[in-house]
Amino acid sequence: MFDRDAWLEVAHNVLAHPLRTTLTGISVALGIFILVVMQGLGYGLQNGVEGQFADDAVNSIWVEGGRTQMAYRGQQPNRPIKLTNADVTGLSSQADTVPASSRRIRLWGAEIVWENPNGENRGGGFGVRGVDPAHIDLERSVLLSGRYINDRDVIESRKVAVVGPNIVRDLFRDVDPLGAFIRINAVVFQVVGTFEDPGSRWENRVAYIPFSTAQQLYRTDGGVDQVLYSTGDMATEATVEQSDRMRSWLKDVKAVHPDDSRGVEVDNNNEEYAMYASIFDGIRLFIWGIGLMTLLAGAVGVANILAIGVKERTKEIGVRKALGATNGSIVSLVVMESTVLMLVSGSLGLMLAVGLLTTVAPMADHEYFQNPQVDHRIALFALVVLVLVGLASGLGPALRAVAIRPVEALRDE
Amino acid sequence: MIDLLGITKTYTTGAQSLQVLKGVDLAVETGELVAIMGSSGSGKSTLLNILGLLDGYDEGMYRLDGKNMAKLTERRAAELRREMLGFVFQSFNLIGFKSAAENVALPLYYQKVPRKERLRRSHELLERVGLLEWADHLPSQMSGGQKQRVAIARALAAQPRVILADEPTGALDSATSEEVMSLLKELNGDGMTMVVVTHEAEIAAECQRTIRLRDGLVESGAHV
Repeated sequence: MFDRDAWLEVAHNVLAHPLRTTLTGISVALGIFILVVMQGLGYGLQNGVEGQFADDAVNSIWVEGGRTQMAYRGQQPNRPIKLTNADVTGLSSQADTVPASSRRIRLWGAEIVWENPNGENRGGGFGVRGVDPAHIDLERSVLLSGRYINDRDVIESRKVAVVGPNIVRDLFRDVDPLGAFIRINAVVFQVVGTFEDPGSRWENRVAYIPFSTAQQLYRTDGGVDQVLYSTGDMATEATVEQSDRMRSWLKDVKAVHPDDSRGVEVDNNNEEYAMYASIFDGIRLFIWGIGLMTLLAGAVGVANILAIGVKERTKEIGVRKALGATNGSIVSLVVMESTVLMLVSGSLGLMLAVGLLTTVAPMADHEYFQNPQVDHRIALFALVVLVLVGLASGLGPALRAVAIRPVEALRDE
Repeated sequence: MIDLLGITKTYTTGAQSLQVLKGVDLAVETGELVAIMGSSGSGKSTLLNILGLLDGYDEGMYRLDGKNMAKLTERRAAELRREMLGFVFQSFNLIGFKSAAENVALPLYYQKVPRKERLRRSHELLERVGLLEWADHLPSQMSGGQKQRVAIARALAAQPRVILADEPTGALDSATSEEVMSLLKELNGDGMTMVVVTHEAEIAAECQRTIRLRDGLVESGAHV
């Protein structure tokens, strides 16, 4: 029910002491401002770090050979460890389920050249990777046109390539690269697709070719540079068990000392991501803690001026009671006042915070800090908190007001 | 209208307890104008608070307009105050930021009378006490006598059965005291029951009957 008189009284009481009201309002506004801005910054930080993970699938395990550091089973240290097709089969048998996986061969500086219809050669140094079809998900690539490497490509060792945006830009410019023939280190490949990798600048300078083709051309000893396993929706603990199992199996097969940390590398992205996730949970908790404490300080301020107000108006409240005011109407008078104070000043703080974040956010672009933003749910939640805190901070003084006995209030000194 | 029988009231502060009323018996008939007199400490304020349902009592019986006032809840007491009683205080107790008309309308607000109707009735009452042209003034712009007349208009607003006045002329000079008393007598002439607490003999003399309190007991004038 809209009670005009009640609201007029609240307005009067709030405006009767402009300095007091303003100072308290500032503390509440500051509380909500700090809460929301810090949330926004927290988001920026989180977006930045998650951007770092956007390169590769988070639910994956990456295996590659390294170089031993310790002598073991009669072998000297500093021995390079190379994976083979047989190792890959053995590793896969250590997985809990038959996982999506991709072997990988990496060439760092391959020369890729395209002869355009005018007979001009355009080329440059790019990366080349031999991959299996599942690689697209493990590397989180986005297919832009054509198709990715498929099973037939691998079985038949076709000479086909899927190229990244930098290659398209440098070699083809405005020409459609699909179907074009390019030379990779003098071997001719047909372009069957284009992709981009939003998470990695490096990956955009790469051409993907079938794993088998790459092995035949560049790893004539049957070597495999890397194996990538997806862990699907397995729990983090289960993936850690699996990566531990893979690591000890591989060390055993390759005669790497169990304590040698460099001989083989089995990196579990799940684990790293879980660690970052828990760090961010901590940061979020910390931000909420500070924000709510600041808000609480504001609420204490509101409760304080209301208590002073009630004290000052003891007599008036006594008169109202004598005239038939119920306890309920006295409580609602005080609580309305506190809620209005909290809401008005809190909304101001909220608007300021949103304004700041929306004007400054686009300017912030750092590797680890991107798109600070206001979560609308948090803004909404903050408003709800404001109302609740307003009610709560009004309640104490309101109960004091109710406890005023007209007898004492009206007694003349 | 008012019947008290053996009313006692004890205030306890910490370990000390003080029996202020020790068994008060008195009666006020409908349409009477009664003064309650007593020196300070005689318990007259306490008695007025009990009569006004602003405070409870320990033992005895209080009947207002035939209804027993024992063990009222706070809500019910507020309701009865609203409907049955009008208060006039020594220091007027007008609300400083409200105009005369709004002050008079306040009891009607607590009776949930619509705003328009409230203001219409408060203007009528201000006319009755001769202050219609002061309706939009704040209390700070009025003299003591005017303020008390506004307070009396406010006491009348809810059409109470009894008006309780606590030292209504205590803060006024003798000329304005006389004005206020004649207004109260006029209202009594219209049939309003009135109880006036005072320590001034001249004021008591203007009432029809004086109930004298001494040390928590009625000394004289308990009944007509």
